[in-house]
This record gives sequence, structure tokens and C-alpha cells, in this order.
Amino acid sequence: MKRLLAAFALVSMATAFAAPISLSQKQELAKTSLKVGDAAPDFNLLSDQWKPVKLSDFKGKKNVLLAIYVLAFTGG
Amino acid sequence: MQSGITAGKIDLSDTAVFGVSMDSPAANAAFAKQIDIKFPLLSDMNKKMLKEYGILKGYDVQNETYQWAQRANIVIDKNGVVQHIEEGDGAVNPNNAMSVCGDLHKKAAK
Repeated sequence: MKRLLAAFALVSMATAFAAPISLSQKQELAKTSLKVGDAAPDFNLLSDQWKPVKLSDFKGKKNVLLAIYVLAFTGG
Repeated sequence: MQSGITAGKIDLSDTAVFGVSMDSPAANAAFAKQIDIKFPLLSDMNKKMLKEYGILKGYDVQNETYQWAQRANIVIDKNGVVQHIEEGDGAVNPNNAMSVCGDLHKKAAK
């Protein structure tokens, strides 16, 4: 009986943990496709000179053209 | 990298141009040198920005799926509002994105 209870406790713990984990995976895969007219989310990325570049640095100063490419050193 | 984006075709007094991918800064520095590009290449190594912009795409290579950027050109105006998006094959040619930048520049000059 003790073993059965322990097994039950384990299973309920596993399910309790499983739910938030699968949820966070889903969130990771969620896509928020941007549309014209949307506010562009700010970003903070490292340049090829290891310098941080923020979108918000250009607010009120310059338009920003982002050319997003698949991978360096490929046709993409 | 989208060929044809050349600094000379855009008024840089009004527009900042960046390449973006999930490569490392070191790889991007070598790539920039190889293709002799005149604008900075930005590195989204944790794919945070690409995810937020909804331009991560799964690529299947040797039975494994990798998440890399989808090719895209995005123009954001000075107010931080998206003015132009083109994705996939349509983004290979950056002329549309560059003319949007030109239009924004003309509008601002008026």
C-alpha cells in the first residue's frame, strides 16, 4: 500500500510539473508575426564589432532598415 | 545576405541599415569582410529578437530541425512603427525596402 501511495505521489508530481513545462515549450514556439503599422519591438543585439545596438537608439533620429538573412557564408 | 543593398542607394543621413541573423558576432565579422559589406551585421544568438518579430523558421537538415531566421526586409520609421515587411523569396531583392526608405526621407523633407 505504501508503495502504491508513493507511486501515486510520484505520478501526481510528474503531472503537476509536466503541465507548466509543456506550456513554456509552446510559448517558445509561438510566433508573433509583425504587420505594417505595428510598433516594432525593441531589440538589443551585438554588432560584428561586439557593440550593442538597440532599436530604441534610433527613435526620433533615423529610419531603420533590417535585412534579415538566414545564415552567414551561405547563399541565404 | 540580400545582394543589392548598397549604402550608395540609400540616404544614410536618414536611415540606419543593419543585417540581422543568428550567427555569432565573430562569424558576422568574417562574413562582412568576405562580402565587403558597408553596414553592421547584428547577431541574435539567443534568437530573442527573431522570435519576437515572428521570423524564426524551422529548417530540416539531415533529419534534424533547426530554427534560423527567415529571410526578410523590414523598414521601421522614426516613430518605431513598421512601415514595410517582405519575407521569403520576395525579400531577395531589397529594392522595395530601399524605395520605402527613400519615400520616408522625402516625406520628412517636406
